[in-house]
Amino acid sequence: MTVGNLIKSIFFIEILKGLSLTLRTLFTRPVTRRYPKVERPAQPGFRGLHALAKDETGRMKCVGCGLCGAYCPSQCIYIYTTEGDDHTKEVDRYEIEVLRCIYCGFCVEACPFGAISLSEHYEYSSYSRDDLYMTKQKLLENWDNYFAGQKGIRYYHDFWRPKLEDFRGSEEQASIGRRNAT
Amino acid sequence: MNTILETIIAPGSIDFALAIGIILVKIAVVIAIALLHVAYATYFERKVIAHMQVRLGPREVGPYGLFQPFADGIKLFFKEDIIPAKADKPLFYLSPVIFFIAALTSLAVLPFFDGFVIADLNIGLLFLLAMSSLGAYGIILSGWSSNSKFSFLGGLRAASQVISYEIAMGLSLVGVMIMAGSLNLSDIVRAQHAYPTGVFVIPQFLGFFVFVVAAFAETNRLPFDLPEAESELVAGYFTEYSGFRFALFFLGEYTGMLIMSSLLALCFLGGWTIPRFITDFIPFLSAVPGIVWFLMKVYAFMFFYYWVRATLPRYRYDQLMAIGWKLLIPLALINILITGLVKAWIKGLL
Repeated sequence: MTVGNLIKSIFFIEILKGLSLTLRTLFTRPVTRRYPKVERPAQPGFRGLHALAKDETGRMKCVGCGLCGAYCPSQCIYIYTTEGDDHTKEVDRYEIEVLRCIYCGFCVEACPFGAISLSEHYEYSSYSRDDLYMTKQKLLENWDNYFAGQKGIRYYHDFWRPKLEDFRGSEEQASIGRRNAT
Repeated sequence: MNTILETIIAPGSIDFALAIGIILVKIAVVIAIALLHVAYATYFERKVIAHMQVRLGPREVGPYGLFQPFADGIKLFFKEDIIPAKADKPLFYLSPVIFFIAALTSLAVLPFFDGFVIADLNIGLLFLLAMSSLGAYGIILSGWSSNSKFSFLGGLRAASQVISYEIAMGLSLVGVMIMAGSLNLSDIVRAQHAYPTGVFVIPQFLGFFVFVVAAFAETNRLPFDLPEAESELVAGYFTEYSGFRFALFFLGEYTGMLIMSSLLALCFLGGWTIPRFITDFIPFLSAVPGIVWFLMKVYAFMFFYYWVRATLPRYRYDQLMAIGWKLLIPLALINILITGLVKAWIKGLL
């Protein structure tokens, strides 16, 4: 043990350093977010509660092709269609079991019409499982609640552009930005 | 009225009853204030440690979370009282009471300001050491009677730790006893006031250091909280306790911390007095009541408890024993030797 180490251990230099660090930290601002009182805004492109998109006339965009359900890794999308009056496809039921969803966003990518989307809403805890079983009606209401007006259009333009319109992704989207940079 | 009473009961017993009444009132006041301090010591601790860890601490109950201790107390009071099926029931009931009573009894000999002490014992210091040893019985018995391996290990660790550090603590206070020439805590404080430096910490810095480290170990606080090491032993000796029995351990531990802080303030920092050269320099400070100085010193050391807890990790068990036996006890013995020699030299015995 050198003399320097001996002096260090006799006078507790390391412990005093630690004490001064904690004392300095005592007077810094806490980083705590007081969550239920102060809400944290969702980041752009956040994948939260599902919504079924409506077009300008207020009709559901979904045509019932079933691609989202085929893609879904946790297989929590159920679509039931029947033949309509003039041989069109009618979507009778479009249901998502939210508790099984893993929010991967594959359904949004798969959809050729931009009909399904993931909103920025993330506070939807409930006491019953039935409340979290999203029927077509609830999903359409979600669109009105969380994507009304310009927001839905902007969200689609920035993050979930349907492949039918444009094959390239947004520059803001992290993975695509990185791919273009390299 | 008095004459009628004195004819019924023995003469002189009125004074006796009055003295007992005064003592009872004093006890009630001291216990109430001490328990209030304990309640807010927990709040203060949570706040200090939270801010040292860049958190906020309790904020929800009342303004700035000030009613949090009462919410915790009410919660503990209504918790289910669980007793392990194979526990040694009488001892299981008794041990938190022993622990808590030992801690509360120590309050009796502490002079909070000049003349205010419940029992002005001539062996006050010895009594305090004895009571802190008795508290260790509560810990050991709770570890034994719970019939759980975690409790048992915690109890064993507490036993060895408290015994080891009891020696160092007692020896560190011998220097103070030599300098004051008394075991009475009030006399020790008066001796400090008469002493040129006003506090014993300056000549007795070795004893002070040993006492501070031993005080951490005696109250099972970090960095010496091995008896209740939560990462190894769940909660140590009180693992099996719940509800108000657990609360008794909790209160006892914090009362013990307050008592150790008070003992430090009384024996090394001048108790309710401040050094005379300060009052000579700033005369109006002598008008401040002594209890203010006493409480300031106690709070400062309580803050130090929390500060160290927020800084240091737990020592390993062999390190704990090595510090106790190989560092603190020799240091305390050197301190006694030097103090004794100097005292003998001053008295002209050498």
